[in-house]
Order: sequence, then C-alpha cells, then structure tokens
Amino acid sequence: MLGEALAVLAKELRSELRSRVALNAILLFALTTLVAVAYQIGPYRIHEEDRPHLLAALLWIILFFAATSGLSRVFVKEEDAHTAKTLRLAARPGAVFAGKFAFNLLLLAVLEVLIVPLFCVLLGYSVAGPLGLAVLLAAGSVALAAVATMVAAIIARASGSGTLFAVLTVPLALPLLVMLIQGTRAAAGSAEVAAVLPALRGIVSLAGVTLVSSAFLFPVVWHD
Amino acid sequence: MASVTVSFEDLWKRFGRRAVLTGVSGTLRPGRVLVVTGPNGAGKSTLLSIVSGLLRPSRGTVRYRNGETELPRRAWCGVIGVAAPDMAVYEELSAIENLRLFTRLRGLRATDDQLAELLDRLGLAAREQRRPVGVYSSGMKQRVKLAQALVHDPPVLLLDEPSSNLDGAGHEVVAALVRERRPATAIAVATNDPREAAWGDEEIHLAG
Amino acid sequence: MTRLSNILVWILGAWLAVVCWAAFHYAPTAQGFVGESARIVFFHVPQAWVAVVAFCVNLVASIRYLRTRNPLDDARAAAAAGLGLLFSILATATGSIFAKVMWGSFWNWDPREVSIAILLLVYAAYFALRQSVADEERRGTLAAAYAVLAFVTMPFLVFVVPRIYWSLHPDTIINTSGTIKMESRMLQVLLGSVAGFTGLFAWLYSLNVRLARIALRRRQREEG
Repeated sequence: MLGEALAVLAKELRSELRSRVALNAILLFALTTLVAVAYQIGPYRIHEEDRPHLLAALLWIILFFAATSGLSRVFVKEEDAHTAKTLRLAARPGAVFAGKFAFNLLLLAVLEVLIVPLFCVLLGYSVAGPLGLAVLLAAGSVALAAVATMVAAIIARASGSGTLFAVLTVPLALPLLVMLIQGTRAAAGSAEVAAVLPALRGIVSLAGVTLVSSAFLFPVVWHD
Repeated sequence: MASVTVSFEDLWKRFGRRAVLTGVSGTLRPGRVLVVTGPNGAGKSTLLSIVSGLLRPSRGTVRYRNGETELPRRAWCGVIGVAAPDMAVYEELSAIENLRLFTRLRGLRATDDQLAELLDRLGLAAREQRRPVGVYSSGMKQRVKLAQALVHDPPVLLLDEPSSNLDGAGHEVVAALVRERRPATAIAVATNDPREAAWGDEEIHLAG
Repeated sequence: MTRLSNILVWILGAWLAVVCWAAFHYAPTAQGFVGESARIVFFHVPQAWVAVVAFCVNLVASIRYLRTRNPLDDARAAAAAGLGLLFSILATATGSIFAKVMWGSFWNWDPREVSIAILLLVYAAYFALRQSVADEERRGTLAAAYAVLAFVTMPFLVFVVPRIYWSLHPDTIINTSGTIKMESRMLQVLLGSVAGFTGLFAWLYSLNVRLARIALRRRQREEG
C-alpha cells in the first residue's frame, strides 16, 4: 500500500511540476491577498492591543482561502481529464487517498513556508514562539489537508465546481480555523510551546478523526 | 492466476427514469471472445462498465470466479484490463511514465525495456514513447490506452471500441493482440465496427 | 394514517398549545434578564435541541444508506436534514432576537451562537451538494458521506471551541458541576417544550418519510 501511495504522490508531483496549475493558483491568490492587506494595513495601522488577534485571523484567512483555491484540483482534474476511471481500476482507494492527501499537504507546506514569513515581515507580526507556531502550522496543515482532500473527492464526483468546494469546506473547516487562530495568537504572545497546547490538542484530534473517517468514507465516494 | 470467468445475470441499469439495460445476461471465459453490439446509446459501454465494477447495476449480479473461488468486488480490478473511450491516460506524463505508474499501482515490477517493448508491439514508435501523451495524435493515445489495459497481463480484457482512432495498421495490431490473448484470456469487445464484431465467438446485441 | 397516530397528533397539538401558554403564564419571570426576554429560552433551546437531534437522525440514515443503498434511507436522511435546516434557522433567529434585547445587537459572535449558525451552514452545504448531483444513487452516496464527515467534525465546534473561549451565553442549565440551575417551574416548562418540539420533529419527519415511500412505490410500479 505504501508503495502504491508513493506512486500516486510521485505522479501528482510530476504532473504539478510540469503544469504548475494548483501551485500557481494557490500562491498567486495568497500573494495578491497578502499584498492588498499589507498595503492597506501595513505594520502601523492596527492598534497594539488589537494586533494579536487581528493579525492571527488575517493570516489564517489568507492561508485558508488560498488553500481552497487549489486543493480541490487533486481530484477534480482526474474527472475533467477522464483519468479517474483508469485510476479507479489501477489503484486501491487507500493508496489513492494517501497519495493525494500527501500531495495536498506538500502544497500547503509550500504555501506556508512562503507566505508566513512574508506576512510577518509586511505586517510587522512578531512571533514570540516560532517553534510553537511551526508545530501549529504542521498540525493545522495535516487537519486542513485531510478535510480538503476528502471534500475534493466528494465534489469531484458532483459538479466539481470550485464554489461547491468552498461551500462544503467552510463549515467543516471553521472549528479548525478557530482553533488555529487561537493557537497562533498564543504562539505570537509566548515563547513557550506549552502556550499552543490547548489549541494543538483540538487540532490534532480533529486531524485524527478526519483521517480515520476518510479511511472509511473515501472508498465509498471513490467507487460507485 | 488460474482462468477467470465472469458471469453476469439479468443486468438492469437505469439512469433516472431511462432504462439503458433491461435484463442482459452473459458469460466471459478464456478462449472465447464475447462481442457486444448495438446502435449508439444502446448501453454497450454501460454494460462493460458494470462488468468491470466501475458502475453498479440497478438490478442483477456480476460474478468473477477464479477456478472455484468467487472473487470479491474489491479484487476485480486486479484481474481486469479495460480500454474505453472515456478512460484516458495522463497527458502530462509520457507513455513510458504512464505504464510505469500503472504497473507500480498494481504492485508489479517492470523494466522500462519491457514497457517499451509492449508499446512497440502496439505500434508506438520508440522516439514517441518518452514524449508527453498530450502531444500525441488520437491514434497514438489509443495505443497507450490499450497498453495500460494489457501491461499487467490481465486474465480478463474488456475493450470498448478498441480500434477507434486507429488506422488500418493499428486495427491489424489490435486484431493480432486479441488473437494472441484469446486462449488464456476472457475477452469482451463492445463495438459498432463490423470488423471488430467479426472477432467474436458469441454476440450480445443490445437493441437500445 | 392509523387511528392511534391521529390521536397522538392531536395530543401533540394540545401539548404544544399548553407549552405556549405555560411559557408566558405559568413560568415565573427569570432574574438577571431584560424584562421577559428570558422566556424565549422555552422556544430557543428546544429548537436548537431539535436541530441537533435532526443531525443525529440524518447521520444514522446516512450510514444506513451507505450500507444498504436503499433509496428510502436516502429519503430519510434528506427529510431529517430539511427539518434540521428549518430548526437551526429558527434557533438562530430566536437566539438573535434574545441577543438584541439583552445585549443590543443581533449577533455577538458568541461561540454557541456561532455553533448553531455553522450547523445551519452544514445543512445548507448538504443541500447544495444534493442539488448538484443528477444521478440519484450517487447523490445519496455523496450526501451521506458529507453528512458523516460533518458529524465527526461538529463535536469540535460544539464542545471544544466554547471551552477555549469565554462565552456570552447564559450559563447552561446542565453545567459541569452537574447541578441544575433553573427554577423548578421554568424547568418544567422547558422540559415540556423540549418534549413537544421533539414530538413535532418526529411527526413532520414521519410525514416526509411517508411521502417519500409513496413516491418510491409509485416509481417502482411505473418502472415495472
């Protein structure tokens, strides 16, 4: 199963590096939004006492909506290109989900590595606990990739539209977003990793629960 | 793998209120080619999709048997090769990369030379095999589709209009392939083409 | 409709009439609230309760559908979701009215307010998904998968997030110390209202399912 999942991941990476559709969509969306926000707000326009929660919220708004602009492609393009049936017959559902989940996770990682430092610089966001933030980003990415990959599988078999993807993902991702914003605030305000623990616990549980339920739901959604 | 036989009984398929298949039965066994004919929209592709496990029938059963053992549905994809107009290969990858992917997904090992040989037998020139499938002509793409159906040597072969988009030489290649595989493979061909229909030992005609 | 169910429906009607009367005349005025505004609890809480019950019924029917592919189970899931949507709209509306009276604005981003609104979004997303799939069996499968996914993520919103955040919500009646903090007549009316609204849901749900059963039987007869 691992070999098959890696084969799916390798295929996704190869395709993406040759076409760069999802990567461009996500990065351009994030950069445009970030520049627009930074231009208007910059490091000085928000009062000191409002900065912790506003900046945490802004960061996750940018990351989340950038992610929703590109994470659905992983399944939608299979249906659009008529390769879904070929893949369905060649690979086990578990391997397909694992490979595509890993790909979405990598996409999110690239997005965060580029955008988070840029956000901190442009908006003057000083993070007292970068390690805590890194752990939070890692856990949050796993949870977000899990939700997004499962929803992408669902909408690819529906109309495949980006709007439907956003409509279905937002209610499921909102608890995650709330926890991530709270955790980011805590990481920005304290150097101790323990500060992010309350939010981290919730995020890790959500990631676990989503992955386990996807293991059962995905084969049903993927196959008729 | 011992010989695999596929039997389907009383298959019905409805899309909304429209009944596409109304009680179709048949058997696929090694050594015999089953040809499914009928006008456009008669349900030929639907029948093959149901037999392959890609679609569920509204009513009826499909059974795969390996000798005396009945295979569960999740094991069917391991024993079938399917080539159909609505099943494409990855256009960003080359023909060789596609076949490499499909062998790995099935847990098989094949060298690039073996994959190149299969593509060569299907009439895809060596110089084309490493170019992205997206730049191929429709005939070349069809050859890659056939290759992905054959690469894992399946005991059951389901071919939906296999020589569509192929020239005379390509048609001959597919005909030779069917002849060669016939003794050990259960083959079904869905077609409008009388030349392909002539390959059959048995026929199911769908009136539509 | 059987004679017994006829009688039960009349009893339900009478029960709800009594609850409405008792909410205004039997229950005393609550302390610490603006005027008589606390009386909305006799309607708001049962509506929120029913929205959650409907969610659970939707989950059970969805799981059954995934196992049986029986169109009636899909109809049950859709019926429960439709009523859930209705009651979550009502709960949000009554909650907003109370918020306006008590705190001067219809919406305060209180976590419990947000939870019920997100439940509303989940139901809306569920129906958006159903609308976008033409094939009946696939529609049922995808909707059921989404319902299960939504159900496993909801506890995080309802239980985890409010614990992280301070809440405007009046202290819950059943709280962590296990004591009931409501005057006994008010509690009687509230429990009576919860029972009445649950009965109302059960009745409306059974009507919907009966209609679906009749429609299915007629279609099966037409198809022969």
